[in-house]
Amino acid sequence: MASPPQLPPADDLYLTAHDTIRGGSLLSPATLGLGLGAALLGELMLWRRVDLVETELVVIDERPTGDAATTAVLEQLRREAGQHGVRNWLAYLSTGIATDLVERRLARVGLIKRQEKRGLFSTKVSFVPADSMTAGWPATRIRTKVSRDENLDVADLLLAGLILATGLDQHVLATLNARDRARLFEQFRRLFPAMLQQLVAQAEAAVGDAVMARRA
Amino acid sequence: MSSTATQPGSQLSDALARDRLGVAAIVFFMMSAAAPLTVVAGVVPTGLAVTGLTGIAIAFLAVALVLAIFSVGYVAMARHIANAGAFYAYIAQGLGKPVGVGASWVALLSYNMFQVASYGGFGAIAQPLFVDWFGVDVPWYVLALVAWALVAILGVRDVAVNGKVLATLLVAEIALTLVFAFAEIGSDGFTASTAALDPGTLIGAGSGALLVMAVTGFVGFEQSVVFSEESRDPRRTVPRATYIAIALIAVVYAFASWAMISAAGENVVQRAGEEGPELFFNLAAVQLGDAALHMGHILFLTSLIAAMISFHNIIARYMFSLGREGVLPRTFGRTVPGTGAPKNGSLAQSAVGLAVIVVYAIAGWDPLVQLFFWGGTGGGLGVLILVTLTSFAVIGYFARHPQGEDVLHRVIAPVVGAVLLLVMTYLAFDNIAGLLGVEPGSTPAIVVPASFIVLLVLGSLWALYLKSSRPQVYSGIGLGARSATTTGGFSAALNNDAAGTGYNDESGYRR
Repeated sequence: MASPPQLPPADDLYLTAHDTIRGGSLLSPATLGLGLGAALLGELMLWRRVDLVETELVVIDERPTGDAATTAVLEQLRREAGQHGVRNWLAYLSTGIATDLVERRLARVGLIKRQEKRGLFSTKVSFVPADSMTAGWPATRIRTKVSRDENLDVADLLLAGLILATGLDQHVLATLNARDRARLFEQFRRLFPAMLQQLVAQAEAAVGDAVMARRA
Repeated sequence: MSSTATQPGSQLSDALARDRLGVAAIVFFMMSAAAPLTVVAGVVPTGLAVTGLTGIAIAFLAVALVLAIFSVGYVAMARHIANAGAFYAYIAQGLGKPVGVGASWVALLSYNMFQVASYGGFGAIAQPLFVDWFGVDVPWYVLALVAWALVAILGVRDVAVNGKVLATLLVAEIALTLVFAFAEIGSDGFTASTAALDPGTLIGAGSGALLVMAVTGFVGFEQSVVFSEESRDPRRTVPRATYIAIALIAVVYAFASWAMISAAGENVVQRAGEEGPELFFNLAAVQLGDAALHMGHILFLTSLIAAMISFHNIIARYMFSLGREGVLPRTFGRTVPGTGAPKNGSLAQSAVGLAVIVVYAIAGWDPLVQLFFWGGTGGGLGVLILVTLTSFAVIGYFARHPQGEDVLHRVIAPVVGAVLLLVMTYLAFDNIAGLLGVEPGSTPAIVVPASFIVLLVLGSLWALYLKSSRPQVYSGIGLGARSATTTGGFSAALNNDAAGTGYNDESGYRR
């Protein structure tokens, strides 16, 4: 069986967070938003458009990426360059902006579909994975590679890092044994660029922040 | 702490500003933990009966003044450090990490004492009301267990009381307290008491007991700084909210307790002993009638429940923060992904609450005096110790980082506050037997203060052990969940902390 293609990390994270029977989210909206916001920023780093210097995001290349979601974020970063730290950008993207961008990108390729739930007074629109198999694939890929002692690529390390940062690992990486877990952690230290390490650490701190301030 | 200055035309600033809190929201949050009716009708009459001291009104005003002076430096430091919601973060950064860890243990004990005190208070106060309303005599511990179960379920699911409900209850509670106090002024036996307002009682025998009881009424004021980063303008919103809440609490408490003591007349201490928490209601009922009395009782109970839920959430988050830092087992640093609830901290607190209720029920100890009052004032003593340590931490911090604050904020107010608090703490320790209403040298008079000292020392030793065995954890102490160097799931992986801390064993979910 051919493996499904690897998606951008934000898309994979979205699907992983919706790997449930009914397609509902495993994360609270705030936590999901922080994870997806960090994933989009990480994608921009992988596109070599943005650097994280200390706690500031610096645009190093203004050209569009060819992808609507990351280009929208890049455009905004460029317009308000140097005014806000990465934590403020994460807070901003987590207000629903990142989730919206990623949902549109996934809907465009048909991986999630709109679902309307008609209530008494209003209609609630949500997105659910078009195929429940796809939602589980990214996490399966990480688990399989780690247990075979294969190296993850940087995009998957970003995904795995954000799975840990958002607490999704309690659902999707819980079956990793101690040896595999140690291997994954070792890959983070050895293969994951320092800048992305910092980004994921900032996202994790932001998730904790949200819990303390009762926003999570 | 970095904050986003509002810049015109910035989409990001505008979007974040929409979610930020104003003064009123923060004042409401602070006062919900303070539970005005619980203090005025619960702590004050019980305190009169136990200690025989009537100077409580002036004590509220004096403590408010000291806390306001302390807050000048406290809110100033909050602008500069991470994890500003917790005393131990200030202490770790101002007096050193070992003292900080010791303080975090003292804080956990103090807050847990408040929590179990509220269960005892609820049971003891609801029992006669149930006889009155429904004609059923339920043991206090059954009612306490019902309240406990409610808090445990809401806590683990992290259901906070809706802000609007809380605000409505709080406004109703304060209004009712004032109406009752005015009714007491209009009652027959009323003679304006000078004893309640006599500053001489603050230097006489028993002053320490009065001051600790007063501090108990203000607990919750320290939570304002949790919202430093959430507020519209950290330089102004948080300080204003803090001073307003302290002033509001002081005026309501001092006025209501003065009215009650004045209305009860000469034999107020004896009446407080006989009528207990009913004293405040009985005195006003003469004027207001039964309907007002029932209203007061209902609000009394809802006030206690709101305080319980509020404290439970504070404790669970405290443990979450400590778990994230690796000071407590990491399992406390996990949340339920779907809700963000700090589940394990909540479960641990509920276990403590259940154990205490069961022990008191089996031993047949008095829920009002020995649980509600001792727990509340014991917690008050703990918070007084923490505030005092924090006041010195503020001085220490600004001595090393004087940037960005003027002399008033970083030297004058902190030094004056620290000296006053040190005197208060000394008086409190000196008066502990009087506070608890026991013989000097008896078991409670030794155990309560000693437990704080022991925890402070043990916590400090634990920090020194961490320093040598797990330097990564030690370096993150006091930085809280807000710091990027914190050891959560991913950061722990980066720090190679897995082997060093027995990560796999301590986190229950791994198996």
